[in-house]
Amino acid sequence: MDKILAIARREFLATVRTKAFILSVVLMPAVIVGALLGTHWVQKLAEEEKMPVRRFAVIDHSGKVYDDLLAQLAAFNAQRPNQRFELEQIAPGEASEDALRARVNKGELYGYLILAADAVDADGGCVLARKDKQLEIGRELEERINNAVAAVRLHESDIDPTKIAWLRRRVPISEVEAQTGKAVTTNVIAQAMTPFAFMFLMFMGTFGISQGLLTSLIEEKSNRVIEVLLSAVSPLQLMAGKILGTALVGFLLLTVWGSVGFGSAQQYHVADLVTRYRLTIAALYFVPGFLLLSALLAAIGSACNELKDAQSMVFPLSLLTIIPMIFWFYISQNPASTVSIALSFVPPIAPFIMILRICSDPDTPLWQIVSTLAVLWVSVVAAMWAAGKVFRIGVLMYGKPPSLRELARWVRYT
Amino acid sequence: MTDALVLEGITKRFGNFTAVDDFSLRMPVGQVLGFLGPNGAGKTTTLRMVMSIIYPDAGRMTVLDHPNAAEVKDRIGYLPEERGLYRKMTVQETLRYFGRLKGLRGPELRRRVDEYLERIGLADWKRKRVETLSKGMSQKLQFIAAILHQPELVILDEPFSGLDPLNVDMLERLLGDLRRRGTTVVFSTHQMSQAERMCDRIVLINRARKVIEGTLHEVRARFATRFVVLDGEGDLEALRQLGGVANAQITSGHARLELADGIDPNVVLRAALEKMRIARFEVQRPDLQEIFVKLVSGDGKMPRGADQE
Repeated sequence: MDKILAIARREFLATVRTKAFILSVVLMPAVIVGALLGTHWVQKLAEEEKMPVRRFAVIDHSGKVYDDLLAQLAAFNAQRPNQRFELEQIAPGEASEDALRARVNKGELYGYLILAADAVDADGGCVLARKDKQLEIGRELEERINNAVAAVRLHESDIDPTKIAWLRRRVPISEVEAQTGKAVTTNVIAQAMTPFAFMFLMFMGTFGISQGLLTSLIEEKSNRVIEVLLSAVSPLQLMAGKILGTALVGFLLLTVWGSVGFGSAQQYHVADLVTRYRLTIAALYFVPGFLLLSALLAAIGSACNELKDAQSMVFPLSLLTIIPMIFWFYISQNPASTVSIALSFVPPIAPFIMILRICSDPDTPLWQIVSTLAVLWVSVVAAMWAAGKVFRIGVLMYGKPPSLRELARWVRYT
Repeated sequence: MTDALVLEGITKRFGNFTAVDDFSLRMPVGQVLGFLGPNGAGKTTTLRMVMSIIYPDAGRMTVLDHPNAAEVKDRIGYLPEERGLYRKMTVQETLRYFGRLKGLRGPELRRRVDEYLERIGLADWKRKRVETLSKGMSQKLQFIAAILHQPELVILDEPFSGLDPLNVDMLERLLGDLRRRGTTVVFSTHQMSQAERMCDRIVLINRARKVIEGTLHEVRARFATRFVVLDGEGDLEALRQLGGVANAQITSGHARLELADGIDPNVVLRAALEKMRIARFEVQRPDLQEIFVKLVSGDGKMPRGADQE
């Protein structure tokens, strides 16, 4: 046991001290937070950017909208003083559309607007032409034009627009959890993304970290440290120590990110998204999930001498782990569907499916949690047993990596 | 315990290839055994089996009174042929780690690490990473890693290969210390001169089979009568015709005679006295190199009379 701990300790320190690990611990949350803040900041920057005044020619065949349109755009200009619009009224018949286009091409105009005569009274349309295809400005202009026409209509019907706005004001709704009555986050995106965030955390903690087992084993084989190690410990002690060491690395990563997530959820008043219950569930599934993966990777790593051989053997496993990545949205939206429940019992991906389901549905039945954990632990024991056999033979094999059939034979005949 | 290591009829096959064939050996405690043989003879395979890294297909062995080295790993030191260390660990960390794996702990471990680093002249390097060491330095480091826990039995696979004479000398001194402390040492080598300097016993293996085994003295004795050298005047050519002379190299005033198996040099001397006036007579003691080349370059079989203990 002492020796297993010594190996685990070395494995842990060797991984934790690498720049890659330190970067992944610190950088990953930083990148996520940065990406969120970053888009906000970039957007703000874009809105404040100084642009030349955009001049619009307006031909108002109805003859009643121009003033309101002017008022609408004045309000826009007040919001974005750096990105002003300017209107130029052109009397109907004064200039053809071709003439306006010619002015746009010369650069005198940003675009033009032709309002139909019955735009206010009937469904007469309007032509909006502009130089660029920016979505946001297009939407903005359409909105302002509609507002202007509506304002004319209200005025003609003798209705006070402020009264309409008052009557249409929204009812404040505060959503609470049905079971506990606690307030829940109303930010739909944050809510929808939380199961994914948890799954991603598990994914990095298990798959991301247990890959290290593969590389360190292959390194030990290729620089022949393995023989010195085996003169001091048994292959099974070596395997156990290495798995324990990397598992601790994964757990450290999970703890750091989990605490950061918990802390910032408190800070930003979305505490209902990152709860102690969810973190505990994550930890409960992380342990067998990690052990299962690492047993498989230890077996593969021990049998291979080159990383690329090992990677091609890991490929089927990677394919399987893509399933939660593809179906995460479906599963988190339909946590109690038959497909979701069935996938929860597929050993290597069960932890990811279950964390998705539990984060989306607090009512996930306890029997499913218990039975999926049981399935996981049974497969951990089976995988460790098989991996131990492969490991004992594999660590001293050099040359061509064995086929899967050969690996199966090692398991059966040793 | 009188024998540190006993092998009886050990055999190992890899597919159709027999790497070690019916190999037996008895290794008394406290002696130094030279394990000789050409490349591919089966030395490394045998040592790996002794270490329980691989298992024999047939035969029995006793290592420090246990049927299996796995049970007494902490009492054995092993330097494999393929040298390997963790490149990113520092010198000190490396020794402490391997020391821990061999059951050393705490202040005792730290004291020994410092002591040995001092002795092999790597004290200034202890905080440097292994990847910055020269080949000779890392080899010394690995040697220390193998003996740090002061094992009763030390198994060294080609410990001297690739070292410069200064480092060879240092390693020989370290080995000498082990021997004085009563450690049983087995080391494999190609270098016969080294085996002659260092070993109490040797065993020669060729093409998976043991060719000869015994104390250095015994092995030499078996071949000692093979050559006689005579200097003097007279009919030296006539020496060729003497009974028992298998081969002769004769120059003016000097003859080197190879004797047939089982011929007493004294008989040859008596006969030679009748042919010439002898100024010098010497029964030549062959060095291991010659024995090695002779045994290995032939059909790999034992010469008659040499296979009895």
